[in-house]
Amino acid sequence: MKRSKSLKLALMGASVLVLTACDQPDETAAIFENIDECASYEGFELEQCRTDWETAEVEHVRTAPKYTDVADCQADFGDAQCEKAPQQTSSGGSVFMPMMMGYMMGSMLSGGGRSNVATQPLYRSKDDSKNFRTGDNQKVAGKTGVTKVASSAARAPSTKTSTMRRGGFGSTAARSGTRSFGG
Amino acid sequence: MHRISIEERSNWKDLADEVGFKFHTIDGTRYWDESACYRFTLKQIENDIEDPTAELEHMCFEVVERVINDESLLERLAIPKDFWDYVRQSWLNRERNLYGRMDFSYDGSGPAKLLEYNADTPTSLYETAAFQWVWMEQAMEQGLIPPDCDQFNSLHETLIEAFKSLNLDGPLHMAACQGSLEDEGTVLYLEECATQAQLKTHFIHMEEIGIDAKGRLTDLQDNTIQTLFKLYPWEWMMRDEFGQSLSNCGATFIEPAWKTVLSNKGILPLLWEMFEGHPNLLPAYFADDPRASKLDAGYVKKPIYSREGANISLIEPGQADLVIPGPYGEEGYIVQALHPLPVFEGNHAVIGSWLVASQPCGLGIREDNTAITKDTSRFVPHVIRE
Repeated sequence: MKRSKSLKLALMGASVLVLTACDQPDETAAIFENIDECASYEGFELEQCRTDWETAEVEHVRTAPKYTDVADCQADFGDAQCEKAPQQTSSGGSVFMPMMMGYMMGSMLSGGGRSNVATQPLYRSKDDSKNFRTGDNQKVAGKTGVTKVASSAARAPSTKTSTMRRGGFGSTAARSGTRSFGG
Repeated sequence: MHRISIEERSNWKDLADEVGFKFHTIDGTRYWDESACYRFTLKQIENDIEDPTAELEHMCFEVVERVINDESLLERLAIPKDFWDYVRQSWLNRERNLYGRMDFSYDGSGPAKLLEYNADTPTSLYETAAFQWVWMEQAMEQGLIPPDCDQFNSLHETLIEAFKSLNLDGPLHMAACQGSLEDEGTVLYLEECATQAQLKTHFIHMEEIGIDAKGRLTDLQDNTIQTLFKLYPWEWMMRDEFGQSLSNCGATFIEPAWKTVLSNKGILPLLWEMFEGHPNLLPAYFADDPRASKLDAGYVKKPIYSREGANISLIEPGQADLVIPGPYGEEGYIVQALHPLPVFEGNHAVIGSWLVASQPCGLGIREDNTAITKDTSRFVPHVIRE
């Protein structure tokens, strides 16, 4: 047979050609507000808790939402919840980010094997302060401890930055005046 | 190879609207046309399309290998000098390619002749991979065609596998230009495939892409872009404002930069030079090559960079010249021996042979009332049946 055995389409608005929606397998993750809380949890060791916190701090600088105006950051996270980021704008201006309010890891729980939970910082937004969220704004849990999180939320979050300008692609296309840019 | 008139499914337009196939009719004119289908035997597909496509892909790799090591050829293909190292590195690093479409003139007998290779931004993917597949399943169910038909089309599954093989850790950004329903449709379909391969995807328009202080590309949420699928030609990326930031932006592109060597019609004279006489190739020369005068039985003149038939001239002795206007041609032309498309009841048909990760896996046919295929040419499905 020279053709695909089956075809499933969901994104393009299909109701007809729909598949079994892929259920995302969950990952087991540990969530704590700080190193001490982690170390006092059954089965967790201080050294590992500290190493994971340090990893999360590095990730925090990379992946926390970034703002060029502290007021915008405070509007999203609360007045006392923002700090200056080490990054700068290209003109030497300050960049702000929410403070790290907790962290998530998976390493100790998978018996030494590779965990699918990327060690990462967590935040709480002003309009949903009960829940911990990742740098990609994925909700993970309402309380600390060991819990299941969706595998999409367990992945390493994306690098956040400040855009200096946009629109640097597309002008050559506009000059050509064609309807579609494929061939 | 036969063209057979058949009955259309009574509700196909409703279905098209439901699945988001918004460009089935363009400016009131048919684009998707299921009032007919083409029929091939399995031997025709395997021997005349599938195998030659695979062989030509390997020949094209030899062309890329030669071009990246020869500055006079990089110049001939109008690749800007600032990008020669970038394109070379992209090839040497074996950056993965996702897809491409070779267009052939083929009438069912005799070797299929390569007209060109859309190696960077091929379109009609959704129609070929998905809508054509569904058409056949439903047409068989409804008794509009015999129940034992097959189709050369495993594009959907092969695309999902190819996305999985990318082994991406981070998200995949996927971009089309603003204002084109077709291009957005193609990218949305690819996004569907990537999602089924468990990738995290973000759609963005090319014009919305930004740049940060470190020269990294960004999306509308200010995330950096690590991997970008772009339905936007490399030759335009290189000439746009952000083109100068490409070598330092740290992003991986699909299609990779080395594909710009192949999506250039300059490969046709190069293939002829390196593999003269190959049954699936037509004689071809750069327009200013004195050997071009050998093509006295008729030739087609095409710009090095052009798409959808624009700026193509068809010159046949004893016939009026057929010239399509358009905005291309600045970078030079090639000429290729004329090998007319087969005509079925006034319909000139071109075979689009698809590759995914360099593997041939699908066929889509376009028809036009004239000898040159354009962006308004219709898409007609096909079946395999003995």
